[in-house]
Amino acid sequence: MSPELASLLRILAAVGLMLMNGVILIYMLRRVLGRLHQRLGPVHVGPQGLLQTPMDVLKLLTKEDITPTNVDKALYFIAPAAVFTPSLMAYAAIPFSPTWMVTDLDTGLLYTLVVMSLVSMGLLMAGWASANKWSLIGGMRSVGQHIAYEIPLLLSVLPVVMYVGTLNLSSIVEAQSGTWLGILPQWFITNPLFWPAFIIFIVSALIKVNQTPFDMSEAESELVAGFATEYSSMKFGLFFLSEFSNSFIVSALAVTLFFGGWTLPFVPDEVLAPIAPVVFMLKVYVGIFVLMWIRGTLPRVRMDHLMQFAWKILIPAVLTWILVFGFIIKLFDLGRPVG
Amino acid sequence: MWGKGILNGMRITMRNMLRGPITVRYPYERVTLPERARWAVEVVRDESGAHKCTACMTCVRACPDHILDLQFTTAEDKSKHIDYLRYEMGACMMCGLCVEACPFDALKMGQDYELAKLTRDELTVDLLVDVAAAAPARAKKASEVPAGGTDDSRGGGTDG
Repeated sequence: MSPELASLLRILAAVGLMLMNGVILIYMLRRVLGRLHQRLGPVHVGPQGLLQTPMDVLKLLTKEDITPTNVDKALYFIAPAAVFTPSLMAYAAIPFSPTWMVTDLDTGLLYTLVVMSLVSMGLLMAGWASANKWSLIGGMRSVGQHIAYEIPLLLSVLPVVMYVGTLNLSSIVEAQSGTWLGILPQWFITNPLFWPAFIIFIVSALIKVNQTPFDMSEAESELVAGFATEYSSMKFGLFFLSEFSNSFIVSALAVTLFFGGWTLPFVPDEVLAPIAPVVFMLKVYVGIFVLMWIRGTLPRVRMDHLMQFAWKILIPAVLTWILVFGFIIKLFDLGRPVG
Repeated sequence: MWGKGILNGMRITMRNMLRGPITVRYPYERVTLPERARWAVEVVRDESGAHKCTACMTCVRACPDHILDLQFTTAEDKSKHIDYLRYEMGACMMCGLCVEACPFDALKMGQDYELAKLTRDELTVDLLVDVAAAAPARAKKASEVPAGGTDDSRGGGTDG
């Protein structure tokens, strides 16, 4: 197979995964939120409401595509693509198993985080182009919170990088195989040294998911639908899809960095090899469930509180922790550089 | 402090999740209403289908919404004949004051909660049409004279 064809197929696989994920996650979100509220969620279309989301996708695809008169036409059309594309690109470096990944980047972690940060650009484009004050406020908020929380997000993964000595996501996963004294899996989450970093990572990663408690850029009770107000049909569908894809990426990053990626303790490599992608996906879905659980529990925070929390608490905290963590691993020579 | 409230909230939602849904899937499932549920006003009827209304007008005066309309004619022997007892269900707030006010327990709050109608006219309900009013005192007197019994029931309307 020619390398061009191979890479094309890999990209198509990522697109397919992203689309399927979107459909499954929307259904899962409805069921999980319903259960958290002691409701049933969708039950009518198909068995257990399984066909509800495919029907909604059909509806989105066949809906009239309205372009308001005063929008900035070029930006208005580019914005959904500018949001969707980075979300798709973020799949590139995620290792699903030792062999299953779109590409094995040496700077995978940095790449994923950087690509994810491009999403907010698209959101600002959408907000600006819509010629609507709600959209503009939504876009501005989105950029504001993304910039503020990008810093603690990037810094919070530094302890892992310092410990392992690489930005390659597969090497980070491999560093987590094995067990501590044969009891606990050697995932970074079982090491108390990584707990502060993990907490900061989760808080700032929630921003990327753009869901409550941090859905300031949509904030339907304040801003109609924020940046997506003027969008309809599949343009809106792309925003929607990107959002769900982001929650997958965030969960996948958390699993890769802290929960051992596709590794399982006590399972020999020969057994693990064929089921590694399944293990990874299961872990990711558990992570997504936790994100939905948070979404179903917490109310939206206020914009100024959100910004204050990032700049006044989170960033100083993470900087301090990096300093302390650096001292600890240097003093006791704890680092386990790979390769 | 330190996110304790967040953890508590997460605990509560997880507990709710484990409790399972409390949804009643209404058109497929129905709940039995509690005995004292108050829905549309109905006329109390005994086993023989006789009503107890004496056309005393108490319910009409008690109704805060002025939606009960009772028309009756008095015969020469002072017995009353009810032309109609009309009830504007669409305007009823189901307060139950008419039921409380009725001295003869002739009205009750019904249990039928599916009150949606297709036309506006259906919302006006004729509870009683063209029947003789109940007259418990006369019935008692009449039953006392031939039988000499002590029937003190207030029912015994003369017409179903």
